[in-house]
Amino acid sequence: MTANAKTGSVLAVLCAAFSALTLGFLSDSGGTRPARPAIPLVDTNFLDRATTRKSYADLVRAGDDLSDFDCYACHDKKKPPPLRLDTNGNIIVAKEHPDIVMGHGQHGRNNNCFNCHNETNLVLLQPRDGRELKFEDSPKLCGSCHGPTYRDWEAGAHGRTSGYWDRSKGPIERKACVNCHNPHSPRFPSRKPAPGPHPLREIGVAAGPQTGQE
Amino acid sequence: MDKPPTMNAAPPGSEMGRRSFLRTSAVLATGLAALAASLKPLLEMNDFPTMERFLQKYYKEMTPQDMAKVLKRIENEVEQQYGLRPHVRDLKPLDGVEYVYCLNLTRCIGCRKCVHACVAENNESRDPEIQYIRVLRLPDGSLDIDKAEHFYAPDSVPEKGFFYMPVQCQQCKNPPCVKVCPVHATWQETDGITVIDYDWCIGCRYCEAACPYWARRFNFTKPSIPKERLNPDMSYLGNRPRRQGVMEKCHFCIQRTRVGRYPACLEVCPAGARKFGNILDPNSEVSYILRSKRVFIQLKEEMGTSPRFFYYFDV
Repeated sequence: MTANAKTGSVLAVLCAAFSALTLGFLSDSGGTRPARPAIPLVDTNFLDRATTRKSYADLVRAGDDLSDFDCYACHDKKKPPPLRLDTNGNIIVAKEHPDIVMGHGQHGRNNNCFNCHNETNLVLLQPRDGRELKFEDSPKLCGSCHGPTYRDWEAGAHGRTSGYWDRSKGPIERKACVNCHNPHSPRFPSRKPAPGPHPLREIGVAAGPQTGQE
Repeated sequence: MDKPPTMNAAPPGSEMGRRSFLRTSAVLATGLAALAASLKPLLEMNDFPTMERFLQKYYKEMTPQDMAKVLKRIENEVEQQYGLRPHVRDLKPLDGVEYVYCLNLTRCIGCRKCVHACVAENNESRDPEIQYIRVLRLPDGSLDIDKAEHFYAPDSVPEKGFFYMPVQCQQCKNPPCVKVCPVHATWQETDGITVIDYDWCIGCRYCEAACPYWARRFNFTKPSIPKERLNPDMSYLGNRPRRQGVMEKCHFCIQRTRVGRYPACLEVCPAGARKFGNILDPNSEVSYILRSKRVFIQLKEEMGTSPRFFYYFDV
């Protein structure tokens, strides 16, 4: 083979290779990624900033229905409601209060309506030290037992805040204990978590272990 | 080669006959065609910088007049793209303020509301997803990040036997991401927030590799944000929409915190686990927490990054 023929064949091979590359690039073969399912927008419920509950003060401010707090619409002013206990010593909540589930304190230790409610004046709260508090002042009642938590709450280290960290620019909004805790059953309720991260690759092939229903 | 050399032929070794010229140019033409075809994806690029953006000065060198022009340009671009006139500001750090974040691991229930409030506030891409906060689920009794899981999806949280640890930019005092940036597109401000100039970033992703917390995110594609979910309250170093090919990360909601407000993740937390404030103010919540809470950790403190993000427990 002469040198000229050799050059010719090299050029022919190059030509073929370039043509193949051109076709490959234009047809985008090998460049197509496997389809990834579209990521749905997150439910706006998860963006909601409302507290889990409304405090008495919130209801008053919003002008909402306060009939739940009008004790003497049903109770007799002169006759304190009787306490009834079952054989295990657990309190029996009257059927007129279907929303009250007693679960305050582990082992049901806080098991008496009048540990917190004033027996002779039901629209008042009464901690053990004898103070009489309105429903709006309920954090003081909670604080009479939960001292360290109350101290943290007063310092802003416990509980929800919103508004302005810089008090010179605007007000800070603090929430009361009962905005998150049901006083009769104060454990913070569990909830459905917002959707987790969606892997960029197909689910199942994704890096990291998969658990649950995802 | 067989032809006898002619009088006006080129010197031996550089001869170019008609034939070899044609052959070589044919190869060259196919080679160029292949090159052009391989560059085809560039045709799909539609976000070419305008001359204005291309000639924009470095953030720290801009005069207030330059900045006003830039903010106007950004407002125009956003309006053109989303049909919504945003309010873009350039907020400077406040005097005598150093931000600190505290997160109560006893209270966090792992509901991920902070993740999505952050996405909504900071105009993060929805598809593909960019999220600044990652909530780790860890088994009780250990702080071993190797055992962490962030794809958890039970019916309800908190789950028995686990606790949750949200991780986001720790706003380090000694940030490795800032050191590796070859173009100084990211730096630490006097209030402790490490910021990114999205118009200066070249997208080399060195900072992403340097960050021990996986806090930095890269826009591999053009971010997609539905018009109705765009937050029009924007700031230059904060939540203005990003371009393809730039880094982004948590900036403590600069557009909120520098006007005195709380970050979005804090306000949405249903459990009140997140606390934020000025550590230089002895009466702030964070000062109280760091002073009086007995246990708090800085994540990966052995890295020497000295985070401004503290995790603590109720004792």
